[in-house]
Amino acid sequence: MKKKVLTVDDSRTIRNMLLVTLNNAGFETIQAEDGVAGLEVLEEANPDVIVTDINMPRLDGFGFIEGVRRNEKYRAVPILVLTTESDAEKKNRARQAGATGWIVKPFDPTKLIDAIERVTA
Amino acid sequence: MASKKAAPKSLSLAPVLDLNEATALRDKLMALKGSDLSIDASAVERVGALCAQVLVSAARNWEVDKRAFSFSSASEPFLKTMQLIGVDIEHLLAKETQR
Amino acid sequence: MDMNEIKEIFFQECEEQLAELESGLLKLNDGDRDPETVNAVFRAVHSIKGGAGAFGLDDLVSFAHVFETTLDCVRSNKLEPNQDVLKVMLKSADVLADLTNAARDGGSVDEARSKQLIRELEALANGEMSAAAEAPVARAAPVAAPVPAATPAVNDEGFQPIPFSFDDFGDEEQPAESGVPTYEILFRPKSELYAKGNEASLLLRDLSRLGEMSIHCDTDALPLLEDMNPEEAYFAWKISITTDKGEDGIRSVFEFAEWDCDLEIRAVEKKSEAGVEAQDELPMQPVPFDLSILDEPTDVIVSEPEPVSPASAADFGSNVVPMAGAGRDEAPASEQRAAVAQPAAGPAAASAASSAAAAPTIRVDLDRVDRLINLVGELVINQAMLSQSVIENDNNGLSSINMGLDELQQLTREIQDSVMAIRAQPVKPVFQRMSRIVREIADATGKSVRLVTEGENTEVDKTVIDKLAEPLTHMIRNAVDHGLEPPEKRQAAGKNPEGTVRLTAKHRSGRIVIELADDGGGINREKVRQKAIDNDLIAPDANLSDEEIDNLIFHAGFSTADKISDISGRGVGMDVVKRSIQALGGRISISSRPGQGSVFTMSLPLTLAVLDGMVVTVAGQTLVVPLTAIVETLQPEASAIHSFGASQRLISIRNSFCPLVDVGRILNFRATQANPVEGVALLVESEGGGQRALMVDAIQGQRQVVIKSLEANYTHVPGIAAATILGDGRVALILDVDAVVAASRGQSLKQEISLAATG
Repeated sequence: MKKKVLTVDDSRTIRNMLLVTLNNAGFETIQAEDGVAGLEVLEEANPDVIVTDINMPRLDGFGFIEGVRRNEKYRAVPILVLTTESDAEKKNRARQAGATGWIVKPFDPTKLIDAIERVTA
Repeated sequence: MASKKAAPKSLSLAPVLDLNEATALRDKLMALKGSDLSIDASAVERVGALCAQVLVSAARNWEVDKRAFSFSSASEPFLKTMQLIGVDIEHLLAKETQR
Repeated sequence: MDMNEIKEIFFQECEEQLAELESGLLKLNDGDRDPETVNAVFRAVHSIKGGAGAFGLDDLVSFAHVFETTLDCVRSNKLEPNQDVLKVMLKSADVLADLTNAARDGGSVDEARSKQLIRELEALANGEMSAAAEAPVARAAPVAAPVPAATPAVNDEGFQPIPFSFDDFGDEEQPAESGVPTYEILFRPKSELYAKGNEASLLLRDLSRLGEMSIHCDTDALPLLEDMNPEEAYFAWKISITTDKGEDGIRSVFEFAEWDCDLEIRAVEKKSEAGVEAQDELPMQPVPFDLSILDEPTDVIVSEPEPVSPASAADFGSNVVPMAGAGRDEAPASEQRAAVAQPAAGPAAASAASSAAAAPTIRVDLDRVDRLINLVGELVINQAMLSQSVIENDNNGLSSINMGLDELQQLTREIQDSVMAIRAQPVKPVFQRMSRIVREIADATGKSVRLVTEGENTEVDKTVIDKLAEPLTHMIRNAVDHGLEPPEKRQAAGKNPEGTVRLTAKHRSGRIVIELADDGGGINREKVRQKAIDNDLIAPDANLSDEEIDNLIFHAGFSTADKISDISGRGVGMDVVKRSIQALGGRISISSRPGQGSVFTMSLPLTLAVLDGMVVTVAGQTLVVPLTAIVETLQPEASAIHSFGASQRLISIRNSFCPLVDVGRILNFRATQANPVEGVALLVESEGGGQRALMVDAIQGQRQVVIKSLEANYTHVPGIAAATILGDGRVALILDVDAVVAASRGQSLKQEISLAATG
């Protein structure tokens, strides 16, 4: 069975890259363009793993992660933070919000797939 | 060792034994306390450490209560993960599932 | 979708982000301190950097990075975004735009400028943050990584891919060679590890891939079922692994988890082979090498675990700890369970929090829209033809057909409007570009200028927008270079030393009107007049009205600056601006007040594809007069016509006189003037402000016509704006009202160019 990945990112560029990369790697991909949309599609997407950006309008990655972690049904889903943030502080905040792991941009398909493999069975 | 009054109860484990299942699994086991128990782990696709903890804890409880605790069958992923995380359940497996 | 397409998307997105960036910075410049504005600005740069990184656009990345770092200082209130700071940032936004364009089109950028700005940005960032990282391009290493202090393995640039090769696997009996070190690992997860979606069994799986491993699960802390919190971490593991991946390799497995667990790793000194297992007196379970079963179910046989110390059900999970282990004594943190079942109010609250969702949009290839517009144009023509033929053949009221045709007409009209609306876009992007022009020219001239824009969301056809940028750029340059006085001069005149240029767009009677106003010195009429005389544009004794003098600046090669500056360009004058506006079916006029500034007013059609017109007959020809130009139509009476001079006639309308213009004569359709009483007068208002009564022979009716360019299909004809095809299939010419009115001031259309000179 294909693993389902929910990606949350406000950049069309990155969304498309994620889509191509994940589809090529045999994942089923569902996409949302910000944290609010991400929480809205959560139920429908029923993801095995979530990849999210941090800087987004409406609801940022921190808020989104907290939202997922508060969701009875989906709180156990691994969440990878995809961001250009490289300083420890941002990573720390993401972890405190409940992120499982992170992938530091620039976007690299190998890194992404590796990280997903690490946090999923 | 088996109970004189009650027939052995059985419990089938869910396919995914993750964080979300740990509490449910404990509640199910708590409800079965006091009976001999045979667990069917044949449907398990993946099992996390939290549910492994619950199962190990239950086995001890049953031991304290002097009730039988065994696995009637177990899937490959279940056995593999248990072995990976260093939890030995070989001796709890029903004879036919042991190799 | 391939990478090239994604790259194209990236550049499109860059354009949007750059616009977002600029408008945000301008808002900040106006004193907006909404954190969301700062966030939006930060996001814009951040997003460009992210995409650029993915495409290896290093120049773009490094500049964006420095910019982002400085913006982050603003975001975290370490740097006050005052005017000086914003000046640098606005310039940086311009450079970022240049770099983006260079990355897209392969052009080059002004490296000195971008280097200078990098220095300025860094200075801003460092000025407030003391002397932290001095070279932001090479990202500063994290100051302090939490918890495990010495973690050389954790590369801040991202986790290291697990150095893992399948080659290591196949060989089952790969011995622990003497050269390969063994490590002993103590791994004790905290509850947070599980709460954050990490899983000890997966970490152990990844660890087992590093080499030969045996494991002991420490269950001492585990309480009995009734006392346990199912989501609390009780298990800990002691692992012995022989790997050549080193401590770094081991740590990298735990990269995501290291804050949420206790992790001790130590290299085991080489003793005897047996000593490794013996030293801790803890029996270890060897972990089978082939763990593929964890990835997907296969029929791999589980290898028999080694028999260990006497087993009973009680020491299930642990081979040493007696049954009811120490876990009993440890306080089971049952309160922690409360944390597990928090109300899932998150999503609802979050979505309620932000209601300002943008309207959903789609992106369509412009070619497709144009094809559709063309087709609809044909449909409109076809519908008109159909109507015509039905009317011609129908003299006893086939009312159902007529009704059907009416509906068809309604429908085609609606389709047409909707399709046109697809092409309509706000003028915002062009206006935003202008703020950059203003900044650059203000810099170059040493003037202080403030650009105020209004009506940025006014929509107009994309073609109009695209063609608007160039004339507008030139006019803005002119306004700053020639219009605004130097600061000292302004101050002397009691004005704010900072000049204001106001750019406004609005819809007015089916057209878009764009105004460019400056609060400068206004047109120096004496100077303009003298210049015109010097250039033989007008006779030294010509008697010109103020309006006519002002309009002299639209003459070819006219510049009032004492010397032609670099800024306004050479040889490109307002005449070029006027011509490009006219080419768009637009009109331009100027009004100026000495000492107070000038206002340029452009009026442009909303679309270049259709036009509401009045179909008229002139000397046997069918012409279309744009409806927007017509104020009213009237039937002249002989008593209202007054002749003067050789051929001039006026018509009196409600006690005022208005020049009467015979369209047939102006267009040279006929040699002599027609009798006004036999025709119809169309009262039109031209952009210059004056009214004229255009004489035509008869009015056929009103209709919407599809504009077909005459230039594209034939050649430019003076006095004619374009052509169209009528319902009966005939070609009709669309009158250029302004040109006709202008021509009426002189003798004929050919002298249009020197109209102002002759008055």
